[in-house]
Amino acid sequence: MNDTVTPAVPPSIRSRSLLPDTEARQKLRRKRARRDKTSRWGITIAGYGVVFALAMIFIYLFYEVMPILKGATVTPQATYNLPVQDAGLQRFLIERYEELGIQYTDDGRVTFFDADNGEIRSQFELPIPEETEITSFAHTEAIGAVTAQGLSNGQAIISRHAFDLSFPVDRRVITPKMEFPFGEEPITVDPAGMALEHLAIETVTRGRGGSLMAAITADNRLILTHLETRSNMMTGETTVATRHAEIDTVPEQPVKMLLDKALRSLFIADQSGFIYYYDVSDLNNPRLVDRYDAGQGSAITAIDFLVGTVSLIIGTESGELSQWFLVRDEQNINSLVRIRDFKAHGAAITNIAPEYTRKGFLAVDAAGHLGVHYGTSARTLFLEQKANTALIGVAISQVNNRILLLDANNQIQAAGLWNRHPQLSFSALWNKVWYEGRANPEYIWQSSSASDEFESKFSLVPLSVGTLKAAFYAMLFAMPLAIAGAIYTAYFMTPKLRGVVKPSIEIMEALPTVILGFLAGLWLAPFAEDNLPAVFSFFILMPVMMLLFAFIWTKLPIRKMIPDGWEAALLAPVILIFGYLCVVASPWIEIWFFNGSMRQWFTDIGITYDQRNALIVGIAMGFAVIPTIFSIAEDAVFTVPKHLTQGSLALGATRWQTVMGVVIPTASPGIFSAVMMGFGRAVGETMIVLMATGNSPVVNFNIFEGMRTLSANIAVELPETAVGSSHFRVLFLAALVLLALTFVVNTIAEIIRQRLRARYSNL
Amino acid sequence: MNSQASETTNISISASQARDNSDRMPMRMEDEKIKIHVNDLNLYYGNDQALKGINMLIPEKRVTAFIGPSGCGKSTLLRCFNRMNDLVDICRIEGQILMDGENIYDRNVDVAELRRNVGMVFQKPNPFPKSIYENVAYGLRLQGVNSKRVLDEVVERSLRAAALWDEVKDRLDDNAFGMSGGQQQRLVIARAVAIEPEVILLDEPASALDPISTLKIEELINELKNEYTIVIVTHNMQQAARVSDYTAFMYMGDLIEFGDTDTLFTKPEKQQTEDYITGRYG
Repeated sequence: MNDTVTPAVPPSIRSRSLLPDTEARQKLRRKRARRDKTSRWGITIAGYGVVFALAMIFIYLFYEVMPILKGATVTPQATYNLPVQDAGLQRFLIERYEELGIQYTDDGRVTFFDADNGEIRSQFELPIPEETEITSFAHTEAIGAVTAQGLSNGQAIISRHAFDLSFPVDRRVITPKMEFPFGEEPITVDPAGMALEHLAIETVTRGRGGSLMAAITADNRLILTHLETRSNMMTGETTVATRHAEIDTVPEQPVKMLLDKALRSLFIADQSGFIYYYDVSDLNNPRLVDRYDAGQGSAITAIDFLVGTVSLIIGTESGELSQWFLVRDEQNINSLVRIRDFKAHGAAITNIAPEYTRKGFLAVDAAGHLGVHYGTSARTLFLEQKANTALIGVAISQVNNRILLLDANNQIQAAGLWNRHPQLSFSALWNKVWYEGRANPEYIWQSSSASDEFESKFSLVPLSVGTLKAAFYAMLFAMPLAIAGAIYTAYFMTPKLRGVVKPSIEIMEALPTVILGFLAGLWLAPFAEDNLPAVFSFFILMPVMMLLFAFIWTKLPIRKMIPDGWEAALLAPVILIFGYLCVVASPWIEIWFFNGSMRQWFTDIGITYDQRNALIVGIAMGFAVIPTIFSIAEDAVFTVPKHLTQGSLALGATRWQTVMGVVIPTASPGIFSAVMMGFGRAVGETMIVLMATGNSPVVNFNIFEGMRTLSANIAVELPETAVGSSHFRVLFLAALVLLALTFVVNTIAEIIRQRLRARYSNL
Repeated sequence: MNSQASETTNISISASQARDNSDRMPMRMEDEKIKIHVNDLNLYYGNDQALKGINMLIPEKRVTAFIGPSGCGKSTLLRCFNRMNDLVDICRIEGQILMDGENIYDRNVDVAELRRNVGMVFQKPNPFPKSIYENVAYGLRLQGVNSKRVLDEVVERSLRAAALWDEVKDRLDDNAFGMSGGQQQRLVIARAVAIEPEVILLDEPASALDPISTLKIEELINELKNEYTIVIVTHNMQQAARVSDYTAFMYMGDLIEFGDTDTLFTKPEKQQTEDYITGRYG
């Protein structure tokens, strides 16, 4: 027993201190203080560095997004007199390089002048036959540059201005010229030879080509003339074939006529504020479809198409501006619908100039205001008084950088215009928008197309919904598996097996998601499509199968030979064999229950089925998310103090009761944060959704349809967009939304976790 | 060794004084009804033998204390009574423990039911992260009792039995973690009592508590022994002397000496016992 008693310490050793001497200790203290200070500063700087970096990311994204919030600015550049004042003005333009202005006058002259000072550069005279005069004027969509002069003898001259570019001594020289697409000879519009009081023209450049003219004659007949050029292969001679048609119903007091580019619709505005819509697609049977009260008591004073000739912008005497287009109903009948209104000017709209490549337009009014408006976003970007008298003309260049304003005193103001991002507004991004050609307002993301006339559709709703949809289905798949797996692994599994299982699942985390996406898109998606019953029977019958196996297992005599905690290993072959059986049985199930094809069966009962759908994404992204959730949840469950579980067991609880009553509540903060981490991962995940979703920006939660997520959208479109364009900035906005979404989710998660943790703090 | 004799006597006297104060007849094993028989119990952790051929009788409605130095196996033995050692994978047991004549290590024994019958209180208070009320009701809910009326009654009765009712009756819905260590330990006892066990195992129940809380626990044990068979493991010999009727001294996995507390503390038969209770080691 004495061996446990400590032997007395020899006095010789006891008297001599073995600690370093005072000086050395002081030195050590200083050293320690220095280290303390260094590490404190180091950690503080690093911490603030992280916050700073995050803040910089936010600031950078904001910086890239900010310009879309700005309106337009107009910078005055020069003021000068209208070059030709001795004849009536017909039309007034500025060319693409913003150097030359173009003036059409009613004496048949076309004058090109310097846009900076009004000096005449060159002038052309149209070949007007003798003893006739110009009685009306029409032009095609501005980009086509075709004009038609209606003559008093029922004929019309069709011309087009064009420019030759040359670079003598390395300077750009623009040489204007006039062309006559149908020859210099006037075209007969009214075979009866009456003067053309009103005229409309539109040319189709694509497809079969051709032009259509509509005219109202002095004796109030409405005549359609179709022109087609044919060139003789042998002689190279061009002949023009004309066809005529007449319409009975003619408005009383027409103001302006417009033909659309499809050569199907003719719109005539009259002074009482009505729009007459004619269907002229069939020249043998042109007819009035309906008339619409667009002015509502106020006369229509200006009307023009937006680019693409789908939308009409109507300006009234009272200063209202509205957008209209044809909407086809379920019976395939078109009707003109007032889509949206713009900020009213307050004085009669005198002129409307549509932009060349976007759905925007400029409008001027009798009180001298200039308004810059945009169709899709319904934004008014600029509305200011620019002249003390009425403004009667406005022209915008093709690249939207320069405008010319003409006032009632024949003064031209040249001004620079900054109007980069009119397409984007809160409502355009987040509300339903009625896009051209659609039957209803919708959420659509469709950022680009090959055509300039295309209307960009920048609704972030489909992308946000897609993001949440992908995350939702991934979580639906991953959450039960990962959490249940974590609880089993941490609490029931034998340590030996746990030592294999946990690292294996954690290694799954390191699996590049591009591989998961690749497998999901190229193998799983077609496989699931071909074996739909297998997928469903797997999901539905597998739990049943597991329970059945568990029940049988309890009855087996060999049960005692295998200790608790190896159930997972026993289950593995069951799952594999059952999975195989599901696949083998799949075609038979299809034949027995689904007339041979479950996919077809879905289509028949009205469920859309895409090959790359939310089911595939749910599984693939679920796999990516499982390791995250599993790992954190497993740690949380495993670290539930032993004394709590033992306390519960000692009260006569079974292990299952202990799990439900004590382990899960105690581990709940950890499990919760695991789920939120998983959700955050699912929201931000890119490669899998990029490869397995089909990237169709639809707004629904149908598990058999795809989606496009914010992250995948950025990945797909950012490389293709022009730096600094609206599209570019809206992608940054998408990134900002994504960041904000994860930030909000994580913040909420952290708050809840702190609360839970406070509840279970004494552990 | 003889030089230490006087000290031994002192402790013995104080222990017997404690006994005398309790105003009871000296205990004799022959008079007791035996609740638990331990027959040739060997317990191994892997290759290490932790309990060596233990034979022992635990009398009913008495307090039996296990004393001994750290690592002597007293807690291990205690945990055999409700099979908590089953939770240790490498643990292997030979021999029998008969409770009311039935071997609790028999294959047909339902462990959860055994543990319901044999309550246990651990060294460190381990209330669940729930309200006071739910802590006490937990064991009943496990048994399928969900009637509010029954639960209310049991919770009150158990808390009264644990001498805690007056302190917590106004804050039953508060989290149990808001209580002091001593209160928590009494809550855990109330929790154990709530499911009407026959045996209560106390594993160093006061070792993490301050002296006043310890005193309250000891008073509580004195109360409880009228209803329950109590087995207590303690490091504190005074505590063993104060609260127990019978004491077992264990050393290195062996049961060295077992007898009524007065005798063991005043006239130990074994040299090792004497050395231990006089503070030679431990």
